[in-house]
Amino acid sequence: MSWTGTIINGVLLGGLYGLFGVGLALVFGVTRIVNIMHGEFIALSAFIALGIAALFPDAHPLLLVLPVVAVSFVLGYALQAVFVNRSMRLPDPLAPLLLTFGLSVIVRNLMIEGFGVNPRHIRQGDFGQLSIDVFGVPIGVLPLVTLALAVALFVVLQLLLRRTKLGRIVRATADNAEIVRLMGVRPASVYNIVMGLSFALAGIAGLMLGLRTTFTPFSGVERLLISFEVVVMGGLGSFWGAMLAGIALGVAQLVGLRLNPNSGFLYANLVFLAFVILRPSGLFGVRQ
Amino acid sequence: MREQAAPIVTLGVFVVLAAAAPWLVGDGGIGLLFEVLLMLAMAQLWNLLAGYTGLVSMGLQCFVGLGGYTTIFAANTLSVSPYWVLPLAPIVCGLVGAASAFFLFRLRDAYFSISTWVFAEVVAMLVFIAPGLGHVTGMTLETTRGIDYEIFLLTNFWIAAALAAAVVIGIYALLHSPLGLGMLSVRDDDIAAASIGVNVWRNRFIAYVAAAAGCGLAGGISFMAALFITVTTGFDLNWVVAMIFIVIIGGIGTLEGPIVGTAIYYGIRELLTNVFALSGSWYLVTLGAVAVTAILIAPRGLWPFIRDRFGIEWLSISRKFADAAAAAKRAAIAPEAATTSPKRI
Repeated sequence: MSWTGTIINGVLLGGLYGLFGVGLALVFGVTRIVNIMHGEFIALSAFIALGIAALFPDAHPLLLVLPVVAVSFVLGYALQAVFVNRSMRLPDPLAPLLLTFGLSVIVRNLMIEGFGVNPRHIRQGDFGQLSIDVFGVPIGVLPLVTLALAVALFVVLQLLLRRTKLGRIVRATADNAEIVRLMGVRPASVYNIVMGLSFALAGIAGLMLGLRTTFTPFSGVERLLISFEVVVMGGLGSFWGAMLAGIALGVAQLVGLRLNPNSGFLYANLVFLAFVILRPSGLFGVRQ
Repeated sequence: MREQAAPIVTLGVFVVLAAAAPWLVGDGGIGLLFEVLLMLAMAQLWNLLAGYTGLVSMGLQCFVGLGGYTTIFAANTLSVSPYWVLPLAPIVCGLVGAASAFFLFRLRDAYFSISTWVFAEVVAMLVFIAPGLGHVTGMTLETTRGIDYEIFLLTNFWIAAALAAAVVIGIYALLHSPLGLGMLSVRDDDIAAASIGVNVWRNRFIAYVAAAAGCGLAGGISFMAALFITVTTGFDLNWVVAMIFIVIIGGIGTLEGPIVGTAIYYGIRELLTNVFALSGSWYLVTLGAVAVTAILIAPRGLWPFIRDRFGIEWLSISRKFADAAAAAKRAAIAPEAATTSPKRI
């Protein structure tokens, strides 16, 4: 493949990485929680999508987005309502992080027990393999759709937060949870919705991951690291920053693999380290 | 002086039990205790960072793997017994830790945690692609052929016991020193600590390098005993995951916490996998459930919960009224000022 192809594919892969990170960025922006469960949830969503796909073998894979989003939203809402809100009331600021860490280990090992460790793949027709030829460079349809979907979701999320009443309440809660109480808002309810949205985004990311490549219950840990890098590089809480960071990491990974096929995620990790050292506040972050 | 009785008695009992262990438990038991003691040392070091200096590292597995590779590579290259080159593991890891601190310390809180993990991944990949380190097949320790395995096992066990004891004593002594007091102040409020003249960066640096060297030595001992290392086992994220579990279940920011946590961690494992013959993943599900329950019911961990409930003191590092008053007198401050907040630290 030519260098042009490598770079274009890196950008498209970045769409998926941006999608990994955006849910994490949303939760961090509103609740200040570093959600360690995020990666496990991407993997779990891929399994949920696989189950739903088995029920509707003839459905177009992109139609799976709707049921996956619905299931994920409910799960995220419930987890926040039952567990995470309790930990947020504790005086120790580390408690929510450690709680999600404990939950992530539970979810991962339940997946191992429930689904086994064999690699799975969501095969829904030949959609995952389609590619189009653009001036001699073959471009996968699925990665293209993923990037487009990521951009569309970012726009929707931005509109939701900037233009709607819910968005105003969420932003106000993020700014000062104590003051919004005086206006009759229960911060815990807002956090439930935000975690639901975050899981819905992770759900879409998991579906796209499952369509693109094989996955196992262990896929979550790797995705968590990518999600973290995307969020930190983008500037904690910034969506567009997350998108650009995802693209930078995607390009770095594919260029790195072309230079040394054994290097895995090494070059993307190096780009991340170099970046945070030079600019610790991220692309769109506020200087500390 | 009575206050120092409990730690000394504990140490004495530990030394006697460790020395008598071969006669008290069988080979299988020694193998398990070996693992337990190394994990105790590593959990204490994670706790030194997170509990006492506020550095939540997710990358200590970097030094475990690096220590293992250093020991096996050096023993094979120099064709000597691994015991001779074991000291290289903490030296190499301490140096790598010190070098990485210069850039990792520019980052704070979540940024720091994530970057330590990324750094560990980078080191793992570099070891993986480096020539002469075995690539996917890993490295086998070649200089132990023909040794008596029984003696090898016992020697390793006693080294692990010495390391665990040294780490606990070291942290105990450190926390009773002015440097330790500075560290605690950094954890509680680094800006306030800096404003009263505590060198925040230096305190954190010393703790971080000590943790790196200690985990490197633990890794060296662990993989020397295993006779074999690969990138996947050496740089396994589960090393740091286990340390975190142990510390949060047992009690973060206390010396007793990791001891209690290690006992629970391995107690549950042995109970579920040997007595109830459940798979490793059910064990981890149980452990996760215990951790989640611990965080919600006893957020500071099990030890502080027991301690406050029953009023027990064991390896306490809190400064007592008499200490505080004496210190205040030495520093020519009114004793009331030093004792108005009897807060446990």
